[in-house]
Amino acid sequence: MFPMERIHSSRYYTFYQSDTERCFYIDFGHKLVRFTFCELLSLRQKVWAIDIESHFDDEVNPHGLEILSLCNKEHLFILNTLEVLDLKDLLTGAFFMLDIAAQHPVLASKA
Amino acid sequence: MKDIARQQMSIKVESMDMLNAQIQMEGKASASYLAMASWCDQRGYARSADLLYRQSAEEREHMMKIFKFVNDCGGNALSPEIKNINHDFSSLEEVFETALSQEIEVTKSINNIVATARKNNDFGVENFLQWFVTEQLEEEKTMRDILDLFDLMGRDGIALKLIDERIPAK
Repeated sequence: MFPMERIHSSRYYTFYQSDTERCFYIDFGHKLVRFTFCELLSLRQKVWAIDIESHFDDEVNPHGLEILSLCNKEHLFILNTLEVLDLKDLLTGAFFMLDIAAQHPVLASKA
Repeated sequence: MKDIARQQMSIKVESMDMLNAQIQMEGKASASYLAMASWCDQRGYARSADLLYRQSAEEREHMMKIFKFVNDCGGNALSPEIKNINHDFSSLEEVFETALSQEIEVTKSINNIVATARKNNDFGVENFLQWFVTEQLEEEKTMRDILDLFDLMGRDGIALKLIDERIPAK
């Protein structure tokens, strides 16, 4: 693997950029996943679309789990509520650090 | 460190999110106009139906314009999921009142994106949306002029037929 630069870390995950490969990596703890920029945008949209309130509704989401399919179905993740929230934090911070988000991470997470 | 993300996308992610929401709104407006056109077509209001069919196509064009812009800027345009379209109207006047309300909502949403883009120094987005700002003024005027006809000509019987005959044909 080519050298990578750490961009941002949350409690569970770490976000890297690889200048040589012109791509990004997220270390999910047990697995390192490579993302092109398009795949990263798609991940962000999927994570943002998760209705976190449903995790607290026993009838809608009794187990508080979310199934995420990433990188055109190459990876499948099952995340619990805390992991979803942490992934949101990671992406908010990472996009801000990448200089394509207008809002400060603290402001963005409050929105 | 290379600025890879910025090299891939020319607009802010917040703008992309708002433009995707606008795509959804324009798509819903197109479907909603189609429902209105169907209502008019079934009741013999031929010119109103024609106008609403055209409006439906126009809203879809707007949607596609934004869709293409998002992708051209390196963003990820999302195909809209359209549901909950109202097909029930109590009168021809209600059809056009609904149309005007819908246009006002679209105008507000466009203005909101322009204001946010300006605040975020996302000038490409602001510039792109200027065409929509002008277009929305025209759309609102079209519907308002039609609603004026109900005040001038009445709301019953032959008045409705005469109003329908005065609906502008493009």
